Amino acid sequence: MLLNIENLQAQIDEKVILKGLNLQVNAGEVHAIMGPNGAGKSTLASVLAGREDYEVSAGAVDFDGEDLLALDPEERARKGLFLAFQYPVEIPGVSNKLFMQTAVNAVRQERGLPALDMFDFDEFAKERIALLEMRADLLERSVNVGFSGGEKKRNDIFQMALLEPKLCIMDETDSGLDIDALRLVANGVNALRSPQRSFIVVTHYQRLLDYIKPDHVHVLYDGRIIKSGGFELALELEKNGYDEIIQQYQNA
Amino acid sequence: MVKKRSPIAQQALDFYLQQAQQIAQTSQNPFLSKVRQQAQERFVEQAFPTAKDEDWKYSKLSGFLAQHFSQQGISQPVANWQAWMPSFPVIKLVWVDGHFCETLSDELSQLPAGVLLESFADALQANTELGGLFANQDTVLAEPFASLNSMLFQDGMVLEVAANVTLSLPIFVLHLQTQPLHHSVLRQRVSVGENAEVTLIERYVSLQSQGAGCVNVVTEIELGKHARVQQILLQEQNRDSFYFNNQFIYQAEASQFTTFYGAIGSQLSRHQNHLFMDGEQIENQQNSACIGLGAQTVDSRTCTHHNQAKGFSRQLHKFVLEDQAIGVFDGMIRVDQQAQKTDGQMDNKNLLLSDFAKMNTKPKLEIYADDVKCSHGSASGQIDKNQIFYLQARGIHKADALRMITQAFLLEPAEVVRQEPIRRWVMERLALALQQTHLP
Ligand SMILES: Nc1ncnc2c1ncn2[C@@H]1O[C@H](COP(=O)(O)OP(=O)(O)OP(=O)(O)O)[C@@H](O)[C@H]1O
Ligand SMILES: [Mg+2]
Repeated sequence: MLLNIENLQAQIDEKVILKGLNLQVNAGEVHAIMGPNGAGKSTLASVLAGREDYEVSAGAVDFDGEDLLALDPEERARKGLFLAFQYPVEIPGVSNKLFMQTAVNAVRQERGLPALDMFDFDEFAKERIALLEMRADLLERSVNVGFSGGEKKRNDIFQMALLEPKLCIMDETDSGLDIDALRLVANGVNALRSPQRSFIVVTHYQRLLDYIKPDHVHVLYDGRIIKSGGFELALELEKNGYDEIIQQYQNA
Repeated sequence: MVKKRSPIAQQALDFYLQQAQQIAQTSQNPFLSKVRQQAQERFVEQAFPTAKDEDWKYSKLSGFLAQHFSQQGISQPVANWQAWMPSFPVIKLVWVDGHFCETLSDELSQLPAGVLLESFADALQANTELGGLFANQDTVLAEPFASLNSMLFQDGMVLEVAANVTLSLPIFVLHLQTQPLHHSVLRQRVSVGENAEVTLIERYVSLQSQGAGCVNVVTEIELGKHARVQQILLQEQNRDSFYFNNQFIYQAEASQFTTFYGAIGSQLSRHQNHLFMDGEQIENQQNSACIGLGAQTVDSRTCTHHNQAKGFSRQLHKFVLEDQAIGVFDGMIRVDQQAQKTDGQMDNKNLLLSDFAKMNTKPKLEIYADDVKCSHGSASGQIDKNQIFYLQARGIHKADALRMITQAFLLEPAEVVRQEPIRRWVMERLALALQQTHLP
């Protein structure tokens, strides 16, 4: 098992958001997480990536045989956990290229691989940029500064393609993408799929899932996974919304 | 009106007046005597500004007044001047304790055609008619430390670039201070003819890592029509020292002026640009990158006079402050009634690395024309936690993330430096200075 989340509880400033969440992800699987606004989806993603604002009050997370919660965010990234942000951050003055070369080499160091010099990195980056049909000049610019909403999202997926993580967590990557960009991102994800690599895809829409066909679909509500199923669950949600499922859960 | 002074301010004033009188006695030239006399009169009215003076509220002079800086004294031998030289080729000119040093400088007679350079002391000797050197004294004397400069200066630089001359090598001016309690009072006059082009680099350093010295500079730069001047100035004195620089820049029609100021050293440093756009279609860019650590006070200020139509001015001033450091930015864009189609923009951004560091910023617009595009902005804050986390989430250590973000923030104003080797050199100096911060 690549990721095993058991009874995860997390809070921010006394406000409990995750209330005992369980999730198991095997290598090679794609899991979709859906759920109403404010349910705790981004919180789950942030806690897994190691954001300090959240206090984990109970539970355990095992990632590839290690206690994930004991690691710093950068160690988690180096060990192959990747978060594509719901809102990618702008960093003025830091070039996208220098940023990603530093990041790629940090991960390579962890894997015992030699660092890529500027030329090798350029080569590698060009190849991945082509995969996402991203504008090459975005690499020369400051990280996300002046990027359109869709360009920011694609830049995050480009980073994912460069870092070749074991677990990709995508938080609403599809929101704000136009139809063509959505297809490109989905193609990028599909190209990265492998028996060793797993995905957790947080989304509100079935559209992205049509392209990347998840193995499992979960409904996250009020800090817990309240229902799990196959792709058909996504179709059902698209048709009927969350009401029925939430009611069933509350009555149970 | 007689200014009320503290005993310490009075003692300092008496000291500098006495120095001025000694210097006045050595001068034979009646014109020069008059310049000095006028300066003295103004200085007595002005000295010393206190926290009650709006323009001096945050740049406190108490540390400066507690010590008396003298122009007398014997310079220490300068052994390792090479350490202060950049690796790219330049025309090298060296001043030691405020005096031109012929032996350390490149041979003046070998300068490219159309370039005239002499020490200010020589220029005073050589000319009986000094009016040209002091044409703008009325403007200059508005600033207290420029008045002090005008009554005390003995040396400095006169640089003239003839019309249509393009200097491919930058002129590199190294100001070394070798002794504590020394006062280097420098007068610099640069005139660049029509359609001429020059890059001027100035570097101010102390040879000793401790002990207060003081540098007081008045620089006047005149640009002819279509002239292009780029100035890069690094202030890297030791952290006990004082630095006062008043720059007066006069631009003629369609000329282009770029200045970058990097503030790294000094207990108290105050760098002022007084920029006059006296023709149409003038462009200029004034940037600064300032680092304040410990108890440093770093003051960078500009006053930009859009006097004629179609002027274009840009400014970016950035401060990184740590510990109890104080930063001061004061910027005024003044648009004259005639200066229609003015496009002026001034930005000040500050990064506070400690809760005790303090930034005082005052951007101002004064607009008398109706068809203009002017803006100013200012923002101070700490490093954004989301930025740090974003880098960490990509495997970059927190310490490296902090450094990357801080450095990128500070270096941005230096991007105006056009030549890549000079730009890289400036950025390296600033990055090195940032290593003195307590960033992990
Ligand atoms: N920094 C914070 N301070 C206070 N409350 C917070 C903070 N971050 C999140 N919350 C709250 O936690 C709850 C869960 O938020 P979260 O962002 O995880 O929801 P989400 O499921 O991702 O929603 P969406 O679909 O809108 O993105 C919300 O009620 C939110 O207001
Ligand atoms: Mg969310």
